[in-house]
This record gives sequence, structure tokens and C-alpha cells, in this order.
Amino acid sequence: MTRYIIRRILFFIPVLFIITLITFITMRTIPGGPFDFVGDKSLPPSVVANLEAKYHLDDPLWKQFVDYLWGVVRLDFGPSYRQRGRSVNDIISGTLVTSAQLGAVSLFLSILIGLPTGILAALKQNSIVDYLSTFIAVVGRSVPSIVMGPLLMWIFALQLGLFPTSGWGRPIQVVLPAVTLGAYFSAYIARLTRASLLQVVREDYIRTARAKGLTERAVIVGHALKNSLIPVVTIMGPIFAGVLTGTFVVEQIFAIPGMGKHFVQSVNNRDYPVVMATTLIFALAIAMANLLVDITYAFLDPRIRYE
Amino acid sequence: MFRGRFARILMVAVVLLLALSVVQCGPKPKEAKPVVLNMNLGGEPPTLDPALATDTTSVFCDKQLFLGLTAFEKDTPNVIPELATEWSVSDDGLVWTFKMRDDVKWVNYNPETKEVKEVGPVTAHDVVYGVKRTIDPETASDYAYVLYIIKGAEAANTGEGSLDDVGVRAVDDYTVEFTLENPAGYFAAIAGMWVARPQPKAAIEEHGEKWTEPGNIVTNGPYMLESWEHEASMVMVKNPKYYDADNVQIDRIEMVMVQEDFTEMAMYENNELDVTGGDAGWGPPLEDMDRIKADPVLSKELKIEPRLCTYYYGFINTKPPFDNHLVRKAFSAAIDRQSLIDNVLKGEQIPAKHFACPGIFGAPPVDEVGIEYNPEQAKKWLEEAGYPNGEGFPEVTLMHNVSEAHAKIAQAITAMWKETLGVDVKIETQEWKVYLQTLKKDTPVEDVPHIFRLGWCADYPDENNWVHEVFNVNAGANRVRRGCVDPNCQEVKPSKFDEITEQAGREQDPEKRKELYREAERLLIEEETAIAPIYHYTRITMTKPWVTERYSAALGGDPIKDWRIDVEAKAAAKGE
Repeated sequence: MTRYIIRRILFFIPVLFIITLITFITMRTIPGGPFDFVGDKSLPPSVVANLEAKYHLDDPLWKQFVDYLWGVVRLDFGPSYRQRGRSVNDIISGTLVTSAQLGAVSLFLSILIGLPTGILAALKQNSIVDYLSTFIAVVGRSVPSIVMGPLLMWIFALQLGLFPTSGWGRPIQVVLPAVTLGAYFSAYIARLTRASLLQVVREDYIRTARAKGLTERAVIVGHALKNSLIPVVTIMGPIFAGVLTGTFVVEQIFAIPGMGKHFVQSVNNRDYPVVMATTLIFALAIAMANLLVDITYAFLDPRIRYE
Repeated sequence: MFRGRFARILMVAVVLLLALSVVQCGPKPKEAKPVVLNMNLGGEPPTLDPALATDTTSVFCDKQLFLGLTAFEKDTPNVIPELATEWSVSDDGLVWTFKMRDDVKWVNYNPETKEVKEVGPVTAHDVVYGVKRTIDPETASDYAYVLYIIKGAEAANTGEGSLDDVGVRAVDDYTVEFTLENPAGYFAAIAGMWVARPQPKAAIEEHGEKWTEPGNIVTNGPYMLESWEHEASMVMVKNPKYYDADNVQIDRIEMVMVQEDFTEMAMYENNELDVTGGDAGWGPPLEDMDRIKADPVLSKELKIEPRLCTYYYGFINTKPPFDNHLVRKAFSAAIDRQSLIDNVLKGEQIPAKHFACPGIFGAPPVDEVGIEYNPEQAKKWLEEAGYPNGEGFPEVTLMHNVSEAHAKIAQAITAMWKETLGVDVKIETQEWKVYLQTLKKDTPVEDVPHIFRLGWCADYPDENNWVHEVFNVNAGANRVRRGCVDPNCQEVKPSKFDEITEQAGREQDPEKRKELYREAERLLIEEETAIAPIYHYTRITMTKPWVTERYSAALGGDPIKDWRIDVEAKAAAKGE
């Protein structure tokens, strides 16, 4: 197992290298650079030249790439072109923690709500409980954050005054954005858990378990549930990577200083170092999450073994 | 096994809760009831360094922290003294001498101890240092070009000349003298711009790029930086050593950085913000305008006032059929600007007849120069151009950058062209940076649209910044390709308009300058019709009744030192 994990981690290196290269080339290929314009106004070539010299954008491309890689190896992601005087390390370290906190709470919330709801719905298949939870799950899945966020804000902050409208820093400010995010994923998890559990309870080994006289509780908890979690765990990987590195919409609505907006704004601003760093971090998060998922499989299903 | 996993989940929960509790509350003032203004900045200011600021948020912050030689009068674009007490211009208009106050101090505020340390007087040497630092190519300032009017500045900024030869010097500790390349009647406004403000040499040299962080920063304005939680919040506190501190009422400016106008509006309605719009964030969302106007309380808090910006459609003057000025005139006269404002924009914008907005020095009086909505005349012009009722008119393209607001405007205007002129105009969009690349005047003409949309906002309130810096064939970006000999604008041929805008920049007599600019606007809009001006922007703000005085600076940079708050009314409204 340990050897397997080490091998997988070593494999991150070529993957991340290729992603870095592709991102680098893509960013330089799209028209428009970081310093052509200020608002509507084009800058004189002399001013652009000074800016490009300062950030070494006048070096040959291969040199820029090599310098960048050398920086990444030393964990130095370079300066931001847009936020003058701040390094990408400053920006990421400030915002990633915030995004990860929000992501962790909402993920926890979505598992806490999603799993039991899904299990209950499956066990009481075609009952009112099942219909109700499916209905809620469909609503939760279909209402996007951009509607859910303002709705929750309107009800719980403006009308009831129970929570602050937005902001970050106090635990109470986490509630509304975490629920907005969590509602979406818990609906997803609930539906998947239900479908998966329904499939598993029809398996042969469940029949065997019942045949040997185990209680229904022991059958479900001890045998069915564990295996039914495999699809759920599979989708948890990308979700985990996604919410931990920040979500643009929810962070915008609730004015949370997270990393989500940098994915979008850095591209608009052609802030190359920030684009590169956010892409790399997201790729790393996906790779790590998938590794975790694969490791979890081994615990859930005794048939899966890694050599 | 199950028990064990459950325990692990519990553990994760506990760790999460702990992680949350680590997130700390913002610092709370201990003093008895300071006067606090709560506002939104609209986003993270990209910099607080006056040499590097280019955007309205940074400029607003710099306005509170750093004084300029000159400033703008409350609510008007008139230049008034700030650091300077008086100034004079030599007869040839080239040498400007500013006498400065001698009672302004540099201060450093320690957010931990709340201690205000006096660092020394603000002198003419600091102005010289600031100007030269902005021009220094090492600084790589975007707005360095604004100072190119100073002798030797362009050469130094491009590395061809030395910083020692830049035309700015300290005559004595409190007198600074600028020598210009050309006479420029508008230089008093330039001298007050953030890029020309005195900068604290010692602090900059000590802390490098981090000199604008709380604790490091040394400032001289009415406020000092207490905290800057990047991308979340910023707090400024009143500077007790400010020369006019007795007349500053607001003790603390507590700013958030909310990027969503909907959220800002919710915070405002929840009394979390005292003001919105203008320099204080985004202002009410367009979707809320009807509701606000109908609401008896909110409607009183709404204020709509002119802003020094113009929205226009540019024609590519070398691309057929828009190489014919009659076609351009017809398209401009067929736009019903008032209807657009009433039905689409809803922000009481002002229909634009010419380029520069009212309030800009040299802008012609409203109604005297320009083209306005006149469907009959538009049809006649198109007929004269050889397309009666739009017959035989080729398909043409209007392009705008991706944005819901621009799309609504484009749909409305193309419908007007269809209705009045009988022509079909295709709408295309591009992402902002790609769009600006497309519009460059050397892009092959087949790749550019026939018509494009852009806006222009004043850097300083003078026509030179408008007709000359935008459309002069030599000085401006000239995206409309005026005076181009060939379609791709490899070569330009200046016309009377170009001569006039150059002459007006040099002219010393204000009345003569006004005359010249009026003629330039007439040539640009009526004769050549290089563009179709559409509307002048408005600033839409909301102000709680307890903010008893609120001023906007014409060009942004609202002076909070002049604002007033009724503390008791605010406390009562917030239930404190």
C-alpha cells in the first residue's frame, strides 16, 4: 500500500508539469496581455515596455517558462501583475485557507445531511419519506447557488435578522454560505446514496447475510452500506477538490475572501502568475483527492487491493 | 469497525469547529464611540502606492491618505489649492511654480499600539521625489505617461534620458517648480493627480514593495491606514496631526470589499453600510431601480448625478460603407437616445450630442454642437449616400465586449437602425482584452467590425483629455481610424481637427481655448461624424439619512474628510 501511494505521488510530477506547460502556452496564445490597457485606455508602448521589463515578459518564452518552473520548485509562484506589490504566494496563502474552511464545513454539512437522507430513502423505498426526500433533493440540485444564496440571505439575514448578510471572520458568517454550498452537494449525495444502496441490497451476499439470520440492521449497517458508499466516495473526490479550492459564485455572493474569484479574474486580467498558480493548485487538489478516493476504496471493499 | 469510523468522523467535526474558531474577529475599537462610516470599496484595491494606482478604488484610498498640490472643489471640476497655497505660470506658459503649506507632516501609524509617529514635514523635495519615482522606468508606473507633459519625463521614462533632466525641482523647501514640454492650461489639475503627489522616500526605501502595508506606510492625508485584510476589509482612522484635523468629523472609515452589487444592496438595506455607489462600491443593481424608485423610503435615499464619462459608438472610418460620412451621420441621427435611457438604461443618463460631457473645461454648451435624434434627417442622409430606405445597404457588424448591459443597448440601437433606416446590423461580442486588441488601429480592416462601442472617462476635466487624447491622429488611440490614408491606417494625414486640438492645448487664453474646442467638437461630430456619442454616464448612489453631508469628487476620490454623520441617528437606526 505504501509503495502504491509513493508511486502515485511520484506520478503527480509529470502530470503537473504537463498541466503547467499547457496552461502557460494557452495563456500566452490568447490575445491581449496583462499590460496593454488600463480600463478603456491603451498604454503607450514605452510604458508597456517598462512593465514588461519589470516582470521579465520581454525574455524569450522558453526562458520565462524555465524561470517559472524554477520558481515553482522553490515554491515561489512569482508576483501578481494586477495586485502590485503582492506576490502570488501572499494571495494564495490568504485565500486558500478561507476557501478550504468554507469548503470543509459545507462538505461536512452535505455528508451529514446527504448520507442519512439517501439511506432513509432507500430503506423506505416508494414511501412518503422516499418521495419527499427525492423531491427535496431534486430541488436542491436544480436551484443553483446564484439563486439559493440570495434567497437564504433575503430570508435569514434581511427578513429574520438571524445572520449577517455577508462577510467572513466570525463563525456565524459561515452558516449561510456553507448551507448554500452544502444544500447542493447534499442533494447530490442523497440521490447517489439512495440509488447505490438500492442496487447493493439486491446483491447475492446480502441475500446470504439475510439467510444466515442476521438482523436487518446488521445486514444494512454491516454489509450493504459500506459497499454502497463506493460511488459516493468516487464523486466526493472532485467535489472535495472543487469546494476546497474555492467556489466563485458563493464567495462572490457572500463576499468571502476566498480563492474562487481568482480562477475567473486572473484570466480576465491576464494575470499570468495567478492563472498558473490557481490551475496548479486545483490540479494538485484533484490529484490528491483522487488518490484519497482510491485509498478509501480499499477500506470499503475488501476485494480491492493495491500492490 | 463502525464505531471506529464514527469516532473518526466525530474527530473531523471537532477539528473543523476548532479551525473555525481560529478565524478571528476583526479588531474592535476600545475608545468611546468613535464616529464610524461603513462603506463598500467594491473590491480589493490593486495598490495603495500613488505611483502605481490606475483604478478608482485605489485612487479613492490614496485620496484619503495622500495630499496633492491641488485638489478638486467639492462637487465641481474646479481646481483648488491643497498642499499648494498658490501657484503662478510664466508668461510663455512653460514654468509652473507652486508655493506649499509648511504645516503638513508625514505620519506613521502603528496599528498595534495605536501610536501616531510624526516622521517629518512634507516638503518640495518630497514632491520632486514622488514625480521622479513615478517617471522612473524601474517603478513601471502605468500612468507615468500622464506626466509626459513635464519636460524630459518621456525621455526618462523610456530610458533615453536621465531622471536628473526631468523638469521638476525644489526651489526651496516649500516651493516646487515644474518646467513643461508645451504650455498646458490644464497642468494645475495634473499637479494634483495621485501620480504627482509627494511620496515618503524613507519608508519606500526601507520596506520596498511592502511599504503600503499597515504599520509600514507613511502618509500625510486626513486619514491613516489601520488595517488591510486583503480582499476582505480595510480600516482607516483619522490623522490627529492632519493640519485641518479639527474639521474632520469621521473618526473611522470601515470598508468592506464586496464585489456583488446585490450583496452590497442587501447590506445597505440591513444598515450594515451607510452609503453605496460612487466611490462607495457599486450602487443599486439595475434590477432594483424600479423597486427603489417606488419605495417611499429608499427613493429619498437615491441620488442620481452626472459623471464625467461618455458612452459612444465608434465607426471605422476607413471601412466601407462607413468610409462615407453621410452613412455615419445617418446612423448617428437614427439613435433615439432619450428612449434608450428611459427604457433600457433607467439611470437618468444624459443624451450625448457631442463627445465631452458637461463640466469638462472646453465642452461646448449643451444643445449647441453635435448631432441628435432626427429620423427624417437620418433617412435623407442615407438616401444621399446612395441607400434610399436602406436598399442595397450591405450587412454590417456592431461589436461590443461581452456584457449584459452592452448587449441590451446594442439590441435597442440596432432595432432603431432597422426601424428608421431599414438596415440590418449584426451584433458580435468578444471578451474584453481580445476586444481591445481587435480595435487597435493597425488590425487588418477585414478583422474589425464596422461599429464598436466604448466609453471614455475624464482623467482630468479638460477637453485636451477628450478630443485630443482620444481622436487626434498623432496623439490618440484613434481606433475610429480618422484621417487614415489607407484602410489599415499605416499612414495618417492630419486635418483641421488635428491642428485645432494641438493648438488648443498650447493656447493660454481660456476663452480662446473654449472656442477652439467647440470647433473641434463640431468637426468631429457634425462634419466628420467619426463617432456617435450616445449618453453621458450618471453616478447612482444611495445614502442613509444619517449621512448628513456627502460630497463626490468630480473625478472620483470622494473626500471623506468633508463628510458628516449624525451619530445619534445612526445609532438609533441600528438599535445601539
